[in-house]
Amino acid sequence: MQTFPPSDLVINAGFVLITDELPAPADFLLHRFLHVQIRDAKQSHCIFLSVSEDFDRVKTVASKATLHLVQNAKFKFVDFVKASEASPEKTTGDADTRLYNIINLLSLDIGAVKAAEEQTLVILDDISSLEWLGFSPLALFRFARALKALCLKSGATLVIRLHILDASEPGHLFRLLLQLCSYHIEVRPLASGRSGAVSGELCLHSGPCESGLKSRPLSRTSALQYRLTDGGAMFFNKGTSEGVL
Amino acid sequence: MSFKRRIPSNHANSPPGTRISPSSPSTVLISTGIPSLDDVLGGGLPLSCSSVVLAPDNHSAYGDLVQKYFVSQGIACGQQVCIVDDDGPSFARGCMWTSVVNNEEDDGSRFAQSGERIKIAWRYEKMKMFQTTVASGSSSKDDYCHSFDLSSRIPESVIQDASDTNRLIILGVHVDENVKASITRLLGNIQDVLSVSSSETALMRLCIPALGSAQWGDIEPADVLYFLHSLRRLLRRYPRACASISLAPHICSEAWGGRGWIHKVGWLTDAAISMSGFGGNPSLVALFPSHHGLVQIHKLPAPQTILPASDKYSTLRGLSSSAGANAGSGENNLAFKCTRKRLILETIHLDVEGGVTERRTTPSTNNAISLNAGPVNEMTDEHASNKGRSHAALEVEFERAVAVTADPQGSQALASSRSAALDATTTPKVKRPRKKVAFQSDRPDLYDF
Repeated sequence: MQTFPPSDLVINAGFVLITDELPAPADFLLHRFLHVQIRDAKQSHCIFLSVSEDFDRVKTVASKATLHLVQNAKFKFVDFVKASEASPEKTTGDADTRLYNIINLLSLDIGAVKAAEEQTLVILDDISSLEWLGFSPLALFRFARALKALCLKSGATLVIRLHILDASEPGHLFRLLLQLCSYHIEVRPLASGRSGAVSGELCLHSGPCESGLKSRPLSRTSALQYRLTDGGAMFFNKGTSEGVL
Repeated sequence: MSFKRRIPSNHANSPPGTRISPSSPSTVLISTGIPSLDDVLGGGLPLSCSSVVLAPDNHSAYGDLVQKYFVSQGIACGQQVCIVDDDGPSFARGCMWTSVVNNEEDDGSRFAQSGERIKIAWRYEKMKMFQTTVASGSSSKDDYCHSFDLSSRIPESVIQDASDTNRLIILGVHVDENVKASITRLLGNIQDVLSVSSSETALMRLCIPALGSAQWGDIEPADVLYFLHSLRRLLRRYPRACASISLAPHICSEAWGGRGWIHKVGWLTDAAISMSGFGGNPSLVALFPSHHGLVQIHKLPAPQTILPASDKYSTLRGLSSSAGANAGSGENNLAFKCTRKRLILETIHLDVEGGVTERRTTPSTNNAISLNAGPVNEMTDEHASNKGRSHAALEVEFERAVAVTADPQGSQALASSRSAALDATTTPKVKRPRKKVAFQSDRPDLYDF
């Protein structure tokens, strides 16, 4: 039985872009990142920026993997929509201002964490929903770039989740973000449809502009397959029966 | 010292018309009114979840029908129902109700009750009957899902009573030229209704029968997505409510919403299925004669877990993750049919070549029909088109063998039409007088797949 992600993908890994599709969502992977960061890393901190989901779900799912987030000082949940509108001037019309508010909020948090010499993991759940809600891809690209710069300065890892609607034509925002990322994790459904034993497969690619990366990539032919359980996922190599029998 | 049996406490505490989800004890489910749809969703629709039904067929109103079941079930259970529609009252009056006479019109029961007993081979005698759908709740005391009858309409007294006791709320849509502002105002109204109801103990069902229909004005895809996203956020804030939405037929397709539209809708809601009726496509009607449309599942609700409850507990979908005889099996294909009395979702199985309905003993003589059936309209539905292609391939093979003996000149034309037939959907079935054989399509098969 394998585990994913390896800890060098979670700690000080730069910008990890996770793409998924509707038949194979990557919720479980975000929770795995959370798990590895909070459990395995000493002196760690995690900031979860959520666009769609609320804290209850994140908390409940994490508790199924015996990770308690309620009173946890290492975990901070930020509701993206609420935080982006909490500006003193109440200018809700301008997209850039709203994104800027988030950057401000995060820079304060990350700065405080860095002063305490802790490792931070910033997870942005779902930059695609932001695009569908009206933010332009260019504004979101600049936002991601600012986030990446912020995280690089403090040695934090940034994880952004993006939904792919059509695997053959991923979209403009994906192409822009791919240029920025250090790692790209692709979560794909099986080509033959849904199955009881295997829920999907994931591949790890290194980002196009980075060199000398620590983690060994997983190509599509040697993808890691996974099966979802109530609280997480079980990983096994493609073509083997480790998780099934 | 006498021992008292401990009664599980959750039975006493759960409100009427709800059930605890089998996969997660903190999730409360309510019924959609259709037992087979409940099964596909994993027992029912969880509270705080929004579900979308896409019904892209322009010629029928299956989306409306599903919403009427939702409303009827809510009224029957005594839950609060809020209909967001300008014609809310007339929609509510068109809902179905339980029939007075409790007759079990089950497709399989006719065969069982008939006098003749067919001789079953000894090795199959112990097997149970082939089931294509889940059984509906038969006892009348079951308040989770009532068995509604499409031929009986909801009594006016029930509607009046529900309105008077504030259990039936109608919200008008009232979209004017400024669509975005109207939608924001509508969301504000919905929030007011939700906050009022959350102070009481009753559960709230929000029903939007036709999102995107004419009363919603010049709505754009971005507005629909914004509405769905904001509605889901509202439901998370008021977790005693849930929402069931049907999209108007013309907005269910990628032609309206752009590339990847259905997936976008799936991402922004908790449950999304589409029921594509066969209305505009006669070749599909011929291919699946006992059904009215195909069901595709895009997303299933998983409010507190990673794995949707439906993956483990749905009998219709037939996924099982445990190691065993069925380990690694794929999912069943689903279709729906609307009989005189109810709407049922069923598993669908392709016929063996030639079909179990007809046993051909003489070659078919009507080659002209199959040759002249040119390419039919391209189907956008990938499931059905795959089936159509495979079936067309089978059909052509069969006819080719026949054509050699019957009509040697016809084989030339057949070869050229084979490519056309492969691109097109299946040719219509040749009309023959039905031979009476042991197997009939409307009787359950005697063997288990």
